[in-house]
Amino acid sequence: MIKDAIGKIALYVASSLSVMTLVIIIGFVFVKGLPGINFDFLTRQWQDKTTFVNVTLQNTEDTDLSDSYIPSIRAYVEHSEESFTIIKLKDGSSLEKAKNLKNETYEVKKKDMITKIDSTNVKDMSMEEFSEQMNSVASQGITRLKVTRPGGGIQPMLISTLYIILLSLAIAAPVGILSALYLTEYAKKGKILGVIQFAIQMLAGIPSIIYGLFGMLVFVQLLKMQYSILAGALTLSILLLPTIISTTSESLKAIPKGYRESSLGLGATKLQTNFRVVLPNALPGILVAIILSIGRIVGESAALIWTAGTIAQVPSALTGNTASAATLTTKLYQLLKEEGDVASACSIAVVIIVLIWILNLLSKWITKRFTVKE
Amino acid sequence: MTNNVKFQVHDLDLYYGDFQALKKINMEILKNQITAFIGPSGCGKSTFLKTINRMNDLVEGVRIDGQIHMDGIDIYKDIDVINLRSRVGMVFQQPNPFPMSIYDNVAYGPRIHGIKKKSQLDEIVEKSLRQAAIWDEVKDKLKKNAQAVSGGQQQRICIARTLAVEPEVILMDEPTSALDPISTLKIEDLAEELKDKYTIIIVTHNMQQASRISDKTAFFLHGEVVEYGETSQIFNNPKEQKTEDYITGRFG
Repeated sequence: MIKDAIGKIALYVASSLSVMTLVIIIGFVFVKGLPGINFDFLTRQWQDKTTFVNVTLQNTEDTDLSDSYIPSIRAYVEHSEESFTIIKLKDGSSLEKAKNLKNETYEVKKKDMITKIDSTNVKDMSMEEFSEQMNSVASQGITRLKVTRPGGGIQPMLISTLYIILLSLAIAAPVGILSALYLTEYAKKGKILGVIQFAIQMLAGIPSIIYGLFGMLVFVQLLKMQYSILAGALTLSILLLPTIISTTSESLKAIPKGYRESSLGLGATKLQTNFRVVLPNALPGILVAIILSIGRIVGESAALIWTAGTIAQVPSALTGNTASAATLTTKLYQLLKEEGDVASACSIAVVIIVLIWILNLLSKWITKRFTVKE
Repeated sequence: MTNNVKFQVHDLDLYYGDFQALKKINMEILKNQITAFIGPSGCGKSTFLKTINRMNDLVEGVRIDGQIHMDGIDIYKDIDVINLRSRVGMVFQQPNPFPMSIYDNVAYGPRIHGIKKKSQLDEIVEKSLRQAAIWDEVKDKLKKNAQAVSGGQQQRICIARTLAVEPEVILMDEPTSALDPISTLKIEDLAEELKDKYTIIIVTHNMQQASRISDKTAFFLHGEVVEYGETSQIFNNPKEQKTEDYITGRFG
């Protein structure tokens, strides 16, 4: 009796401990992170971006009762600490056609901050002084403004994560699926196949930092890709291959032998059978493998830090200087390690958790949808 | 008379690794007849059936000696296996339509043999389903998944799928063993209708079935053909004691 009671108590303690730990972790992340999440957080650049623009000021009589309206740029502004923030633009504002110093159009938008008019700092100005200053330079026509677009958003990381997902899958999915097809449908059973399957299992268990090390030595240094999304994606695709191969193999093995026999019995070649009957039927399994892979990519940090870098920018090339990019997870790591910014890190963590959650639901839905058919 | 011979089997041996599954089979199978293979489980009748369209090639460790001639051509030497299988179709024990629409199932064979035109495919699909005596039942649901209809219908769809390739021979490997009596009768009627155009070889566990529909019957035991002859003779007046024991239900 007493033994039973002790056993039961141990069970309750253990299970409530694990549930509590999970709840506390998720709770902590959400409590810390949720307040930081808003539309700006998701859509803005990470860093403030300062640009000098030339604006043709409009010398108009257009007036507005509001104090915050500046007629010469047809915009409403708001005084914030060191600058004047644009809160609303009227139609036809010349700010929309502002030109940067390379004479390219740089559209000044809502929420951008004006910090200098020509060489005059607006830092200590009051609203009236700012308004006056703007009106006084209006007569000279073109005026140079120093405009800062505020950062603090994770848009570049979202885009980089998406790029790396697409790139990694574009490499790993075809290679993995075709390998699985070869291993299950073509390879002769024997020692070599055994060795290959053993190797795949081994690879699946290797810590990702080792893949990262390999990626850095081979892709980043030897192949001179530098920290880049291509180096990162190549590293990740190696890391994903074992999962894709084994999941696909499993779903290929689950396909009834009768399908293959009937297809061959109708005079189809083995290749036709594989591509018209076998692979299409393995599709749900393959989809699940791909979704799990996406989850893995979203959550991966170790393999990416030394291959894709931690710069918060939208990559504009596959390799080289401009191709380095932080994903959500590597940015989170870097924030904690180098900046100690726990609040932002938690906000990113919330986004990651939600993404993974959606992916899991999706894979469950696919499994359910395709397995319970009749 | 020789013109009527579709298959001539000469001293056929088949081994799975060390195990000899077929021993010195000699047999002539005639055109436009139904030939039935009967015998207890593991006697080699299905194995022999599968050597006729070389499905045994798929099994690892199979070795075959001897010859099978189809219309005088050695099917293991002088004909491409793909070509052979489109001339010798097969219907399996379990109805196994592909998990696609009824239409796509029947059109599968023609498509892999390069027919792409919609009108031509439509024609083949309808013709094959009609031949398989299932057109009226499925004509309104051709786009429906073939696995969503009854087992008997599935098997007839599989027969239609085989017919769509326009084979000369149809091999049936216990085609009714997974079906109910009514579906079984439909398949049997169908087999009798089809024999005008095709040569049919059927493996069956069901002796009434063999006696009902076949013209010739071969009795297999332990990898050997014990007796082969007219069905009426095998069932009414068997020459071998073993045959009599089997058909009277003393073993098997």
